Formats: sequence, structure tokens, C-alpha cells
Amino acid sequence: MNGSAIERIVIVGGGTAGWMTAAALAHRLQGLPVSITLVESEEIGTVGVGEATVPHIRFFNARLGIDEADFMRRTSATFKLGIEFRNWGRKGDSYIHPFGVFGEEIEGVAFHHLWARFARAGGRDAVEAFSLPVLAARMDRFAHPDSDPESLLSTYSYAYQFDAGLYAAYLRAYAEARGVRRVEGRITAALQHAETGFVDSVVLESGERVAGELFVDCSGFRGLLIEQALHAGYEDWSHWLPCDRAVAVPCRSEAALSPYTRATALDAGWAWRIPLQHRVGNGHVYCSSHISDEAARDALLGQIEGEPIAEPRLLRFTTGRRRKQWDRNVVAIGLAAGFLEPLESTSIHLIQLAIGRLLDHWPDRDWDPFCAREYNRLMDLEYERVRDFLILHYHATERDDTPFWRQVRTMAVPESLAHRLETFRKRGVVVNYRDGMFLDASWIAVYLGQRVIPEAGDPRSEALSDAGLMLRLAAMRDDYARMAAQLPTQAAFLARIGANAS
Amino acid sequence: MPADAPLATITIAGGGFAGWLAASLLARALPDLAISLVEVPGPDRSLGVAAAADVLLPDDLPLLGEAGWNGPDLLRGGRAGFVLGTALSGWRADGATAFMPYGEIGAPLGPIPFHQLVSTMRRRGQPVNMANYALGALAAQAGRFAPPPPGDETVHAALTFGLSIDTARLAEMLRGDALERGVRLAGTWHGEAVQRGDGGVQRLVLADGTSLAADLVIDASGPASPLSGARDDWSPWFPFDRVASARRTSEAPAPPYVHCDAHHAGWQSFAPLADGVGELFVFSSADAPGAPAAEPFAPGCQQAAWTGNVVRIGGAAAQHDPVAGLQLHLALADVLRLIALFPAACEHPAEAAEYNRQWREKTECAFDTALLRLACSGALGAVWDRLRARALPDRAAYRRDLYAANGRVVLHDGEVLEEAGWTALFDALCVQPRKGDALSDALPSAKITAHFAAIRQAMIAAVGRMPPYQALMAQVAA
Amino acid sequence: MMAGPIRKVVIAGGGTAGWMAAAALSRLTGNGVTEVVLVESEEIGTVGVGEATIPPIRTFNAMLGIDENAFVVATQGSFKLGIEFAGWSREGQSYIHPFGAYGADIDGVKFHQVWLALRAAGLPLPLDDFSLCTTAARLNRFQRPDGNPASPLSQIAYAFHFDAGLYAAFLRRHAEARGVVRHEGKIGQVRLDGETGFITALALDDGRVIEGDLFIDCTGFRALLIGEALGSAYEDWSHWLPCDRAVAVPSTRTAPLLPYTRSTARKAGWQWRIPLQHRTGNGMVYCSRHISDDEAAATLLANLDGEATADPRPLRFTTGIRKEPWRKNCVALGLASGFMEPLESTSIHLIQIGISKLLALFPDASFPAHERDEYNRLTALQWAQIRDFLILHYKQNQRAGQPFWEECAAMQVPETLARKMALFRAAGRLFRYEDELFTDASWAAVMIGQGLMPERHDPIADTLDPAEVRNLAARMADAFRRTARAMPTHADYIARHCAGRPM
Repeated sequence: MNGSAIERIVIVGGGTAGWMTAAALAHRLQGLPVSITLVESEEIGTVGVGEATVPHIRFFNARLGIDEADFMRRTSATFKLGIEFRNWGRKGDSYIHPFGVFGEEIEGVAFHHLWARFARAGGRDAVEAFSLPVLAARMDRFAHPDSDPESLLSTYSYAYQFDAGLYAAYLRAYAEARGVRRVEGRITAALQHAETGFVDSVVLESGERVAGELFVDCSGFRGLLIEQALHAGYEDWSHWLPCDRAVAVPCRSEAALSPYTRATALDAGWAWRIPLQHRVGNGHVYCSSHISDEAARDALLGQIEGEPIAEPRLLRFTTGRRRKQWDRNVVAIGLAAGFLEPLESTSIHLIQLAIGRLLDHWPDRDWDPFCAREYNRLMDLEYERVRDFLILHYHATERDDTPFWRQVRTMAVPESLAHRLETFRKRGVVVNYRDGMFLDASWIAVYLGQRVIPEAGDPRSEALSDAGLMLRLAAMRDDYARMAAQLPTQAAFLARIGANAS
Repeated sequence: MPADAPLATITIAGGGFAGWLAASLLARALPDLAISLVEVPGPDRSLGVAAAADVLLPDDLPLLGEAGWNGPDLLRGGRAGFVLGTALSGWRADGATAFMPYGEIGAPLGPIPFHQLVSTMRRRGQPVNMANYALGALAAQAGRFAPPPPGDETVHAALTFGLSIDTARLAEMLRGDALERGVRLAGTWHGEAVQRGDGGVQRLVLADGTSLAADLVIDASGPASPLSGARDDWSPWFPFDRVASARRTSEAPAPPYVHCDAHHAGWQSFAPLADGVGELFVFSSADAPGAPAAEPFAPGCQQAAWTGNVVRIGGAAAQHDPVAGLQLHLALADVLRLIALFPAACEHPAEAAEYNRQWREKTECAFDTALLRLACSGALGAVWDRLRARALPDRAAYRRDLYAANGRVVLHDGEVLEEAGWTALFDALCVQPRKGDALSDALPSAKITAHFAAIRQAMIAAVGRMPPYQALMAQVAA
Repeated sequence: MMAGPIRKVVIAGGGTAGWMAAAALSRLTGNGVTEVVLVESEEIGTVGVGEATIPPIRTFNAMLGIDENAFVVATQGSFKLGIEFAGWSREGQSYIHPFGAYGADIDGVKFHQVWLALRAAGLPLPLDDFSLCTTAARLNRFQRPDGNPASPLSQIAYAFHFDAGLYAAFLRRHAEARGVVRHEGKIGQVRLDGETGFITALALDDGRVIEGDLFIDCTGFRALLIGEALGSAYEDWSHWLPCDRAVAVPSTRTAPLLPYTRSTARKAGWQWRIPLQHRTGNGMVYCSRHISDDEAAATLLANLDGEATADPRPLRFTTGIRKEPWRKNCVALGLASGFMEPLESTSIHLIQIGISKLLALFPDASFPAHERDEYNRLTALQWAQIRDFLILHYKQNQRAGQPFWEECAAMQVPETLARKMALFRAAGRLFRYEDELFTDASWAAVMIGQGLMPERHDPIADTLDPAEVRNLAARMADAFRRTARAMPTHADYIARHCAGRPM
């Protein structure tokens, strides 16, 4: 046995990040002589009302051995096939960024090239006619994907929309059952090694000291350990993503159970709508230099579909990334590591990714600097790539109806994004990298949805005739439509698998 | 020419392997292009150094298949031999030989990667030879081989192979294919060109005095290209500056791996062909006075592969030290990238920028691969000592240091080796992680040993079911 | 009336018509009885710079035993896959009337009905994609069919563009080598038999007298024999086809070498463009009531894509037909028998059908009336059918705001054409009449190209399985495109097979 192995892990902060970390570590380190302690205070609320996710969450749950129907019942969860973006490219526009691909390639030519040529030749079907998850979402239908690659039901994936508080509670029960010790209390101080600055322990209001070797900072925006104790520093990205506040309120559900999240662009930000089984989570993310808190709250309350069931809650944030997400013996996960607005439902995924990377680069008490260095390099890449993807939504717009949209439409964007946009606009090439959670299909969905149409295509698509292209695409479109119409409604499907919340 | 005029004409400069490869694949992918090719006199250095044999990596084969060239064509046209990996001799300080197989090594135990298990066992004092758990290495050792049948789901399916081809012979076949598809052989070119202001070329002036204009010029004329732009010199890191190559024929095919032997002034490799071997002899002229006649070469790369309307491919874009056997792989990657990004119009800055970005990534990864292959070696000789004494560039150093720290492999966008390949390279050269994986270290030795034994048993059984390599090659020849 | 075979055929006039007739009739000399002579004067120029043709010319060449490549080489010729009509339906729009068929019929349903049914189902497919000739033409590609009827290439039908003067010279060599005797000289007088009114001889200006049994009038518009001497009346069609003048000019060759003729509608007429190897033939056909000669010539010169290489040459004509193209012992061919503008490249074809009918009905010296009558009946019918086809182009235009074109759109067309248009407009139905030159595909190409879209399709098309139809149609269109892209460019094909000598 390695004599310098980590034996005591302290997770600072509960909430989604804390309990996901606790549950995952408890599962993976099972059987090892390791203690996991999570310190949280019930006084400190957690951020997140309705939470929308991306499909990777299913692998996280599956690895923990979580039963889907049970989890959905207990977190009031719904299925999610994508996100509808309203009013982003232009006022009145609507597109869905689905968890799935558009169409099929023909003779090695990517579908988006075919579609762009089809549109140029006078084809009238929108690109979403070639996406089963979009068609299903528009009809509030859902069924599990099929693993048979020949089936159209294999062309999509799915995620969940759930109550974040209930998910944290669910994972807490899971983690506690596997030996995670929960300590209730507000942390008043972090004691650090005089020379190295390593955190030795945290001190609670009660005077209790919780000591450990590895500290996972899940304390949220303020970064109790990573920032307040270690001063890891914060890289501010608000010049690219200028929204800095959000107001959130749940309301009664008045509509059919939609299997998708909605993000509606407003005058100085955007509003989310996350439909859960029993209610709808709503929020308005906005830029405080363009709209007052009152106006932002009114805008939100003015557009929710049902009666609010709680007081609106205000949140403040600065978009950006911790300069070192892992510093010395502290690894920041969740909002402590950085903040990216939930436009693409990436918060939980970034937590999940951080947990996986931490396990990949699991340290011991020698604290080999390469672990933190490689971890930080990889996480930095992830955050930057999500950041670029979010900026795309704001920047690729034709809106100039408010000062906010004029600002984001004309601002300078990171070089990496400028190159991606230009390459797609000119030639329909999706620039992509090994690291980064959003794959080609996601970039294509947003480009096309926000009217970034390639000026020229893949010359290989010239091998097809216009007529052949139209006919093949018509056949494809009909297949998708037929299949979508056969799917059950989400409500029926939830009932069928026994996932109805009580 | 108006900027948005459709790109219709291409001239390929250089009728070596890279030029004919580009001609054949472009003519197949884009049959309405008017493609001309001009030949450049002299030996074929279009891939970098003139080698009698070059290697197609395992991942190259399906890509070439999609582009229209499948295995049987390559075997026949290239007098090819199968390659399961590289056998190293003289590369380790301890004098031991090593084998770097293609494909996965071993199998993970739950979430724990195989090489972490190896690392745990070694730190517990148990020597483990990774090659004993690689199907390719075992097959090479046993002299048995058969490509896995399509749809196979047994252990055999994991057998990963490349092809070693007779470069000149395959070039001949590509040439025939290109000409049949309407590529026009336009004459001989001695290097005279009328340049444009933007790094592009207006027209090439041929040996007979005629001019050849094209919307796009593909420079496949090798490292000494007259169309060369600003170039980065890599010689500070790569001390080997001479190369000689020879083709030997034999009755029987050479065994299915590349053998690479390090010696005091350089290294020598033997690539298997259906009817012999392709030898490559690379050394430092300063360290080998009185060495046989050899050609000089100087590793380095263009600062941009695509400038104006000129795309440099293969050796014209970058000259790598051939130690990692990548020059054919890189030229193929260049051609496939060009097809994937093929511009629609005569002015095409967006396509060129993305091409250059991808090419740069790949070039840097190949640079790291070759450099670490040399710099991590324990070979004996003054030139090797000098090589090791020199500080590595940051990126290459970080790859080695991270692996040495915790066995993790850094992967960038343009890798030529994936995790298994890097692990095999480091392990063969005795770079071993200081620290193990906590989860692996928590496993009892007996559990790991049993896992190892099960893997080995299954692999040996699978190899036993393969035919002798000689028999397979006889069948291929028939 | 004399019995026995025709002993001497006299062709009056060289030029394309005269030498085509001479080349075709030269085979008669093989019987050892019949003599064929041709009288022409070098003083009299021939009409026709660049000449465009339609596929039946290949049959004519084959009948003469002419090697196609040798013929293209000798005439600076190029290949032709159809005609592009630019601006005919409306300004800015263009369509190609291709040779060959559209697609393939499916289960006995005509392809254009399949196409109409797909269109009705919300798939406005470009008709062009179902013609291999159009697809290849748009890509400037050409290749002859390879003889394999299963290959998409078998759908290629082609004709030629050539230099009419070189063609006449080429045929002259052919005819002279086969025993046709040429007399240089200007015809001064046509001598008639006082009793029968038959032509007995041509008296030349220099006093020579050339007697004969059968006279072929190839003297062009002047119609020296059939008109002046025999008084065969002329039926004027200019109320349907009002263009009455043309001006022609050659220009330098430009790249790419197009494998089709182009006809571009202009203010009061249209401009032709005929690509040859050594230059491009251009001309403007116009209606003198709507545009002056100067403006027509200026418009032509302003719309050349190369440099003009000669002065514009004017021509005048009246569209119409000789009421009796065969009268007594004289048969008129070419312009002497009538005139229709070259909008569908029919000039050479009209000569050719005259020759082939003459051969089919070749008389003996008694000149039986029923043979002559049948010749005249068939000629009138074939000309009228072509006339109707030409009228369609004018009638079905949508060039609003231009008096010439508005007049054409408003005109009353022949009843035969009106019926055809009505049938097509109702349900896309087409019926090909006896001996008609233009096929259903040609009528469909021009009707649809000109914007005459059927109101519905034939219900028989609805009996086909829609998925199967889509699949078949997609495969057809893609196969044509793939085939076309694999062809050499027109210029390359000529360079490889039949390059003319540089001039």
C-alpha cells in the first residue's frame, strides 16, 4: 500500500457540486482506507431551482448505479431532448439545439453541407425537419433512444430537467449510505500550513475543526478555500459574457410537459424555462448595466406561464474562471471553480467533468505538481470552449433592437471563436478540438439556428444533383416525421416507466 | 481572376509519391477538377527523405479505404508487408530489446487502465514486459498473422496492423490511377515560377518554356522545394543529418514488424515488404566519419503550409526525422485534410487558415513523437548523449514529465499516437511513472496477477489460431 | 411524257444546300446511267457563317459514309448538346432545350408526368437534372455515347456546330470524288419546254447550255428556277414569325468552349451564338418594324463575348414556304424552298429532309404526279410542324413591356399549335404527330422552359408507389450528374479527338 495515500477528504459545501463529489468519491474509493467528510450549513441556501442538464449526467448516474425511474420520481424530473432558443438570431426566430444529429451524410458529405445546398436550390424544409429529437420536442413527445444504429431512434440522446435541491438530497442519501460523514455548520476559518499555505483544516462556528489532506471546495461563487484562503485568482470574462445577475422564480405548470428547456432572449439578457413534473423553473439572466433589478424581475414575472409559487430570488455573479481550479491541496468544483451562465445547461456537466479529472489525476500526499498542472490545463480548456460556445449565442445575432444586443453583436470575440465562426461562415467547416464537450452537431445547430449559413459548401456535395438532393432529403424528412409522430407523449412515457413523481 | 470564381484548376508540382497520392485522391474525390501534374527531376523526396519503404499506420488504412484504395490494392500495388509494431534494439540503456506494438496493450481492470496496473506491479518489485500483453507483439513473436475478419468480436478483433509499402511501386500505381482519371501530365518543372504578392504562385514555367497557371498549386516537390516559404529549423533538436536507403529483395517476406536498431552515430531501420525489406540508415555526419555515401537532410518545417494559392504537402511542408516512421502518414493526412477543406473559390483565406491550424497541430505532435523517441532513448554514443543533454521544448518535456510523474498521457488535437501508442513508446524506452494510480495501488497483487494471466492466455490462444505469416503472404501473393 | 430513268440531274447553286444535294445524289452516278452536275458561281456568296444542327445530321453523314471526326476536323466543328434559351420566358431566366430524353418512363408513365406528380407533391425539382445533355451542357462537358445501352452515357444525343462554308467545301470534295461534275458559271436563263413547261436547260452567262432531266433549285432566296421560272407561289408566314432580317458577325473564340448553341432574346428579336473551334458565330434575328438595322447591329456588336473579326453582314427574308417545292421537273431545296429562322437550328435539317424525301420518291423521266404530290404534301406537313414549334417560343413569352414581345404573346397561333398548347396546359399531355421532327421531350422542354406549366398531372402517375418513384428519380438525376462530371470538358474532348487545323 502506498504510504503517502490520501486518507482524509474534506468537501466544503453541500449543494449539487458538493453532493455529486461526495457521492462519486464514495463510490469510486469504496473499500479504500479513506474518509470523506462534507461540511455544509443549512443556513446557506443552494443555488439552483430547476436544473437542466446534458446527456453526460446519465453516465454519472449509471456509474453510481442509480435507477432512472427512482431518481426521476424523487427529483420531479422530466426528460430533456434539447434547448429551444427563442428570439436569438432575430426576434421571432425559434430553433432547438437538440441532443442529436441532423440528417444523415450522403456519400461522405456532411449533412449540413447537403442541407445548405438544398436550401440554396430552393428546398423549403428547415433543418429541424431532419432531427428526430427536435420534432419530438416540438410535439412534447419522448421515448428512450434505441441502441440499434439502423434505427432513427438511435439519432439522439437525452438528459434530464430536475429539482437541484432534490437531486442534492438524493445524492446525500446515497453518499451517507456509503460512509460519507456530513458535518453541519458554518465555516468561519481555514487553517493553513504556515510555509506552504496548504489547508490543514476548516474551523466551524461551533469551534469544531475538520482536518483533511485533500479539500474539495464546493462553497460556490465565493470560493471559501480556493479564493478566500488560497487566493488562486479569478479571470473575469464579463467583457464577453456581460450578464451578471439572475432572478429566479418557480411557477405552476400550465402547459403540456415539454421535454426541452427554453431560453428566450429578452432585451438585456434571456429567460430560462425548465419544466419539471410539478412546476416550472424560471429565471432571467441579465446584464445589470442595461436593466435594473426591478425591471428584470418584472420582465420575468411578466412572461411566466403560471402563478409564482415562491418569492423571486436574486443572484449575482461574474462570469469567468478561477485561475487555478486546483491549487495546492484544494480542488475547486462547481461555482467555486468558475461561473458560466446556464444557457447551455453546462453547470452540472462541468462538475461531473471535474470529478472525473480529479479521479484521473488522483494525488497523494507528495502532491506531485503534475497532477494539478495537468488537471488545470484540461479544465481550463473545457471552460474556454464552453465559454466560446456561449459567446456564439450572443454574438451570432442580427438583433440590434437594444443597446445590450448591439453591444454583444459588435463586440470583439476571442480569437478562437472568431476563427470558428469565420470558417463556418465561409466554407461550412466546423472547427473542433479533441477537448470540449460540444461536438460538431451542437455547433451546427446553433450556427444554423442563428442564421450563420455557409457561403460555400464542400465541393464534394456537387457530386449530387439538385433534384437527387431534394428527393433524398424529402425521403429523409418524411422518415423523421413519421417516426416522431409514433413516439408517446412525455407524460405517457413517464407513466409507462413508472417515473411519475408522487 | 475574380476572388469568388470557382476553383477549377489545380497544378501539382512534383510527381513523387506525395504528388501522385494527391492526384489520385483528388481526382477521385473531386472528379470535375482539372488537375495537371508537373514532374520534378531527381529522386523522390516528396515525403521528406527518399526511403525505399514507408509505413501506413493502422488508422490510415480505413481512411485510404474511404478514399478509394483498399487493402488488397495496397498489398498488391505496394508489394506491402504487414506491420504489427516496431522492434527496438540498442535503444535502451540496459541493452534490452523492446517491442512497441500498435493497438491496445492489455485490458483495463474495471476503471483502472492496464498500464497503471503494470506500474503498480513493478513498484511492488514484479517485472512486467508490456509487450507480453499486446496481441500484435505476441503474433509478431510467434510469426503468425491474419487480419481480423470483418465483424469479428473475439480477441482477434483487437489485432491492429499497419502496412509497410514499397514507396516507388505504390507511387507507380497511384500514377496510373490518376492518369486514368484524367489527370494531365503537363511536363517537367525545374522550379521556375512567377510568384504573386501573397505568397502564392501565378504560374509555373516549365522546362519547355511553356507556362502553367492554376487556381491552386499543390507543392509536392519535397523539402528542397523552390516554392518554399519561411522555414523553422529543427536541427538544434535533431542531430541526425544524413540518410541512405536501400531496397533488398528476398525469397520470403520479412517478418511483420519494423526493426529499428540504434547505433553509436544514429539508427537503422528495416521495414518488411512482401519480397524483401526497405532499409533506412540515418546518422549524424559529425559522428560517423567515413560513413558510406548518404544524402544530407535537415529537419524543419514551413511556418505555414498554405500561403496564397500554394499548399505544401508532405516533405514540402515539413521534414521530420524519419525515426517515428510518420512521413507517409503525414503526407496522407495532408491530402485528406486538403480534400476535407477543399476551397470553393479562388480566394480562400478561411480554408487556408483552418488547414494551417490543423497542419500545425499535427506537425507539432509529430515533432514531439520523433523527438521523444530519440531523446528518451538510452542508446550509447556521443550524439545520443548530446541529444539527451539538450533541454526539450516545453511541450515535449511536459509530455514526458507528466508520464514520468503519474503515467498520464497528454493528448493534443493533432496526435499521431493515442494513449496506447504513447504508453508503448515511453515504456519501451524505460520511462516509467514514479507514482501509481491510487485505485490501482489499492488492489491486491493476486487480483492483478490473475487478470494478467487471463489476458495473456486469451491472447496466446488467439495467436495460436492464426496462420503462419509466411503462409498468409503466400496466399496474398497468389 | 418520256419514260425511262432520269439521265441527268442538274443542281443549280452550290452552298450548303447544293453540295448536300450533290453529295447525296452522287450515289446515283453509280448506276452508270445518271449524270449529276452542279452549277455554281464563285461570284455569288453563300449565306451562313456558323451553322448549328440537330442530331439527324448524323444520319445524313452516316448515309454518305462520312467519318465524324474527319468532318469535325474539316469544318472547325464543335459538338452540340442542345440550345440554351436565355431571356425567352423572361429577362434573367434561361433554360436549355436539350437533345435526348428526360429521365426514363416509370411503369409506362411518361417521365414528365412523373415529374409533374412530384412537383404537385411539393417537390419542385429542376427538370434540367433529368437530362444528361443539359447536365453535361451546364458543366461544359462532352463525350459521345459509348455504345453500351445500359450506361447513362447512352442518353447523350448530339449534333454539331460547324462553319457552313467549310462544310460545303467538304461536301464538294466528297461529291466530286464520286463523279459529280461542277460547272463554274452564272445562270443567265432557265429554258422551259414550250409545251409542258418543264425546265429543259440552264443557259449560262457565258453561253453554255446545261440540259437535264431533273433540276434541283438551290439558288437561295432568289429561287431562280422554282420561283422565277416556274412560278411556284410563296406562302407568307410572317404574321406568325414576324422577324424579317438578320445581321451576322463572327468573333474570336472564348473559353470555355460551350457544347451548346445559345439564343438570347433581345428587344425585338434574338441573338444567336454558335461556338466553333476557330471562332464564334453570332447573329441577330429581328423584326424590322420594331428595331432599325443600325440598332440591331449595334446591339449585336455590344453583346459579343469575343472580338468581332469581320464586318456585320445583313440579310433579309420573309418567313414562309414555297407552295409547291416540287413543280414540274424541279425540286427546290434550302432557301429556295422556303425560310424559317434558325431558332431551333433546323436550316440544314430542312435541306436534309428534302433530299431524303426526294430519294425516297425519286421519279423516272415521266415525273408521275402522285410522287410529286406526296413530296409536296409531306414537305408542307413537316414545315408546318416545325413552324408551330418556333411559334411556341414567341407566343409563350412573358417579356412584358416590350412591344415586339407583347405582340407575339397576343398573336393568334395556328390551330394545330393552339390545340397542342391547350392539351399540355390542362394535364401535361403531349401527342407526337406523323413524321414530326420534335419529340415529346422537346415540346416539354420548351413549354416548361417558357413557363407553360400544366395545371395538373395525368392521374395515371398517382398509381405509382411514391417512395419508389422518389428513389428512382433520385438515382436517375444523380447518375446523370455523376456521368456528366466524369466526362471530359468539351474543349478537351475536341483536342483529343478532332482538333481542326489552327486558322
